[in-house]
Amino acid sequence: MIKKEHKTEKLNRVAYYPGCSLNSSAIDFNVSLKVLLDVMGIEHIEIDDWNCCGTTPASNISEELVATLSARNLMIAGKMGLKDILSPCVSCYNKLYKAAYFINSVNKMENKREEGIKNSILRTLTDMGFDTRQELNFKVYSIIEFLFLKKAEISDKFKELKKERDRNKEYSIIKSLTPACYYGCALLRPKDASRFDDVERPTSMEDILEKVEIECRNFPFKTECCGAALSLSNKDSVLNLSGQILNAAADSGVDSLIVFCPLCQQNLDLRQKQINKFNKTKHRIPVLYLTQVLGIALGLTDRQVMLDKLFISLKNT
Amino acid sequence: MTTKIDKSTDRIKNDILQYIEPKIYNCYQCGKCTSSCPLSDVFEYKPNQIIRLIQSGNIDAIVNSNSIFLCLSCSICSNRCPQDIHIATTINFIRNEAWKSKRFKIKSIARFYREFLRIVGITGRIFEPGLLLRLNLLNGRFFNDMDLVLGILKKRKIRLLPEFVKKRKNISKIINNNL
Repeated sequence: MIKKEHKTEKLNRVAYYPGCSLNSSAIDFNVSLKVLLDVMGIEHIEIDDWNCCGTTPASNISEELVATLSARNLMIAGKMGLKDILSPCVSCYNKLYKAAYFINSVNKMENKREEGIKNSILRTLTDMGFDTRQELNFKVYSIIEFLFLKKAEISDKFKELKKERDRNKEYSIIKSLTPACYYGCALLRPKDASRFDDVERPTSMEDILEKVEIECRNFPFKTECCGAALSLSNKDSVLNLSGQILNAAADSGVDSLIVFCPLCQQNLDLRQKQINKFNKTKHRIPVLYLTQVLGIALGLTDRQVMLDKLFISLKNT
Repeated sequence: MTTKIDKSTDRIKNDILQYIEPKIYNCYQCGKCTSSCPLSDVFEYKPNQIIRLIQSGNIDAIVNSNSIFLCLSCSICSNRCPQDIHIATTINFIRNEAWKSKRFKIKSIARFYREFLRIVGITGRIFEPGLLLRLNLLNGRFFNDMDLVLGILKKRKIRLLPEFVKKRKNISKIINNNL
């Protein structure tokens, strides 16, 4: 468990690493998260000239390559005077977290091989013009961990913003749903990350949503993998795996899913028609970002959180 | 493609034992990893069999099967292993080594990684429409996912022009060393 309260105060100013997905196909996640942070009074400063973290392709061909690509972003944040990095995309988070493991000064490497990788990354960063002799101490936060640490503030804001919320009809629409939280494989990695939740039976999302009086139903596929990046090379696997998640949701009487990973959202929402065709099902299950739901609960409008970007819309559910 | 056992696969096994997962011999074949794995039904070797093959030094068999290339690195196998063997990390290590020695068995996946990183090498960030078009062209399946494109365009859920990182030369240099 994370030691709370005093720690969260520091987190009112973070470096923001959107990553490529949030700048394109997950623009709704990006925008809804930023307006949510604004409402909560959390300063988010985008890392200058950030680059792709390398994600699955770089990670699967070279551990050093992915860590170097990711580390460049950390070093820029450092140059901007920021050490706490918020990385909403699950894949980026894993890569940035691992990069911080390699370059943070206090971390002792486990063996000669890791030491070699660390030195090589630091050399490349030096070649890029970064000062790697200074003390490096980055902390990378995933969106779920970050919001979990902030849940007391979410609760306060929820009470404070009652009037704004009641002006919008979306909150009552969301309240009329029977949603379930879908975590995917996000909490399983990295293995050494601080454990703020049970990785097999997570409840952090439910805990956060409880603060805005949204009740979620339990369902058995909360942590099953959606098929992730295989959508671009072995699509059938994704249509099968994501299909099973939708089946399990429907079987549990769930009519909508709440997620926080752009790839899960894309596989379940954008590809829902393909999934239905592939598995001969007729699901119509909207897949919302956690940040969209929280935004609505804190008085933001459907436009502000970009609910219109869902392929399976909330209307007529 | 079958490749005969050579020094390099001995080295991979030694590296695994020395650096990646020294506990590899603790596996007692309970099969929990395999029953948890979301893709084990399409794996030619299941996760527990991969561990066995590493123990017996048969890295070639692993590299010549589809499993390590399809692995999603979801890490459920590692998390559930009662012997705390980090199976997913071990698989990714063998996959990295297979790339280095140009033994990536599944061409569509190798192509995806290469094209993805080529774009990142040029612009510094991934450009999704460029990647999809290029992959469809190379895979000879031009209409793959075209059913989604109209919806994506209508919703404007895509960036139509690539973004360029200013210091992209730094990026292309490190990527090109690995392609």
